[in-house]
Amino acid sequence: MTREITLAKAVNEAIAEEMRRDPTVFLMGEDVAEAGTPFKVLAGLVDEFGPERVIDTPISEPGFVGMAVGAAMTGSRPIVDLMFGDFLYLVMDQLCNQAAKTHYMSGGKLKVPMVLRTNLGATRRSAAQHSQSLHALVAHIPGLKVAMPSSAYEAKGLLKTAIRDDNPVVIFEDKLMYQDKAAVPEEAYLIPFGEAAVLREGRDITLVATSSMVQVAQQAAEALAAEGISAEVIDPRTLVPFDEATIVESVKKTSRAIVIDEGHRNFGVTGEIASRISEKAFYHLDYPVQRMGAMDVPVPFSPALEDLTVPTPDAVARRAGAAVRGELADAA
Amino acid sequence: MPHEVIMPALGMAQDSGVIVAWLKSPGDEVKAGDALMEVETDKATMEVEAAHDGFLADVRAAEGATVPVGQIVALIAETADGAGEAPAPAARTEDGPKPDDEGALPEGHQVIMPALGMAQDSGIVVAWLKDAGEPVAEGDALLEVETDKATMEVEADRAGYLAAILAEERDDVPVGQVIAVISAEAPATPVRRAMSAAPAPARQEAATAQPDAAPDKGAERPAPPAPRPKGPATAAAPAGRILASPKARRLAAEEGLDLARLAAAGYPQPFHVADLETLRALPKSAAPAAAPAGGEVGVISAEIDAAAYDDFRAWLATATDTPPGGPHLLAAFAAGAMRAALGAEGTLTIAAGALGAPAAMDDADLAPLSAVPAPSEASPALILRDLTGTALTAVKPAAAPVPQLTVTRRGDTLALHLAHDAAALPEEAALALVAGLADRLSEPLRHLL
Repeated sequence: MTREITLAKAVNEAIAEEMRRDPTVFLMGEDVAEAGTPFKVLAGLVDEFGPERVIDTPISEPGFVGMAVGAAMTGSRPIVDLMFGDFLYLVMDQLCNQAAKTHYMSGGKLKVPMVLRTNLGATRRSAAQHSQSLHALVAHIPGLKVAMPSSAYEAKGLLKTAIRDDNPVVIFEDKLMYQDKAAVPEEAYLIPFGEAAVLREGRDITLVATSSMVQVAQQAAEALAAEGISAEVIDPRTLVPFDEATIVESVKKTSRAIVIDEGHRNFGVTGEIASRISEKAFYHLDYPVQRMGAMDVPVPFSPALEDLTVPTPDAVARRAGAAVRGELADAA
Repeated sequence: MPHEVIMPALGMAQDSGVIVAWLKSPGDEVKAGDALMEVETDKATMEVEAAHDGFLADVRAAEGATVPVGQIVALIAETADGAGEAPAPAARTEDGPKPDDEGALPEGHQVIMPALGMAQDSGIVVAWLKDAGEPVAEGDALLEVETDKATMEVEADRAGYLAAILAEERDDVPVGQVIAVISAEAPATPVRRAMSAAPAPARQEAATAQPDAAPDKGAERPAPPAPRPKGPATAAAPAGRILASPKARRLAAEEGLDLARLAAAGYPQPFHVADLETLRALPKSAAPAAAPAGGEVGVISAEIDAAAYDDFRAWLATATDTPPGGPHLLAAFAAGAMRAALGAEGTLTIAAGALGAPAAMDDADLAPLSAVPAPSEASPALILRDLTGTALTAVKPAAAPVPQLTVTRRGDTLALHLAHDAAALPEEAALALVAGLADRLSEPLRHLL
């Protein structure tokens, strides 16, 4: 049985199911209990599990993420809620030096089975310090897994897998998608890490898109279909581990690729994926691999300007059309 | 007009605040940023600042009073004697329908868009949790509202029936505007409608929500995209090197095809897989430029400065937001010249193309210049080859049962060559055609008149 639920509800269900299944799972963060987070994602959990397992923390990200790392090392499975992805800068030592390296530094004696839930995404008029998409920062660090759900279905399945993983996992939800609905089965399910989803098959060009950009790519593919161009859309689902094979196989078939991600373009996720395609599918490429990401500027508060900083379906379709027609790329 | 001072929501779950002290008295001059009053909530005591310059007027809540969030506590008037000015909107939360509401609204208590944040002036209705006509208890969540900071539930502050819903999901509603009515009696005809006033533009979500922009655009486009509008912007290959995509290079190597022959024939680089088709079809020995001379074929040539034509193409591309026109644009000029040269009436078919097979089109001179005309089945009166994007400088066909007009480019000069069989196109008409086309390309705007 499936029904349509919001991404917020899917996350709530994932956490509730895992907390019922495993008494060592608990939740902590700012406003997670009484307020249920500013996005109302966690509403009601404290009623079922009580304040011992749904813990409101003081406003001290370094403090409570450090506590979660310690709790995870000593047998609990904490889910930490980081209210905005932008606050990652505050917890870099706890996450990148401690959580990511403890298993290695202890010779495998300690595990850190924690989940850091946070978000990404601009065009919410939240200005430069609450609109960033910083997943590239953590994907860069060995020892951290990174999941990027693109719908309610993905959010639930990936979060449940993250909670059961014995390694630290950072999961980025798109804060503009919390109210977006998708079909989600009633029954419990998991989505394994490292398996990309081919959301639409095509023969002329491959659109690799993450998180918020998946629906942009799908809308672009619709527009391209009307022009007679057949685009394949692939969602990698997790950046670490990364399903290179599915993407490389697709590009070998289509000969062209555009990588779309809401992080900044410079030194980021699009560069990494484009580079892997170029390395592994070079002799199959008929056009330079294209990258589309957020403009390399602080996210503007002005709505008119903010909207210009992220890729749109129209921009993706135009770029794809030029690639398929063999029009000169900047690089040529 | 005086500005309103409302009880702000200082906490996420706050629905009222206590005025601890007024820090300004009625009539006092205030500057934006001045502390006006101290407010205590269940979490903290904070100062509330003036948002505007002016004079404090019409203080409506005394120290010690508990005031619901969103309620007006004072005004800031523009002048010292503005204290008597009437506040802009009438009291917001009183019972009874507003007189200026269009359409009959059920009687009852009005629910307004609350102020959930200090600097919030509107809220987006995310979802209604009750439908029109449903009974509600005090404390029931009525709807979810999203502000720039958070999404929150708004609760009913009394029991009754949700008699009217006056803003639909995704409506961006100004703070204070009535969004619902709770009636004491079950309503006979519950009302549900979108925000009646012209809604403030809903926030644009460039990244996620442009559902119609892209498909619409697709629908407007003519069905088949121009086969290969590579344009004249040929990448400059360093001497001796050929630019080709890795896949084109690999396939050429596998098939034993020599990309250098494509380059020598003047095809624009970089080469893609599609160009291999042309390479396979290329005659093994003769380069096109060295085509043998024919016997009865006459050739008329003209040279003109390309500047006017280039400017016109660039202008047209910008003005109509289309790729710069190629063969079909030249065909439009040629059709005009030919119609004048022959004094012909009725349909005039021209086949136009670059190096590939030319496409026939009817009355190119009468079609919009920005669009590629629909293909035609009729046999053409003229074949037009637009070789301006190639390195070819002259083509002399062995035979020309249909007159063939070639346009080539060398630097800033366009060269026109008309190869014609005198039986098919008399000398005078051929001269008039080339001269007319040269005129038109030298002054393209004249063609529009």
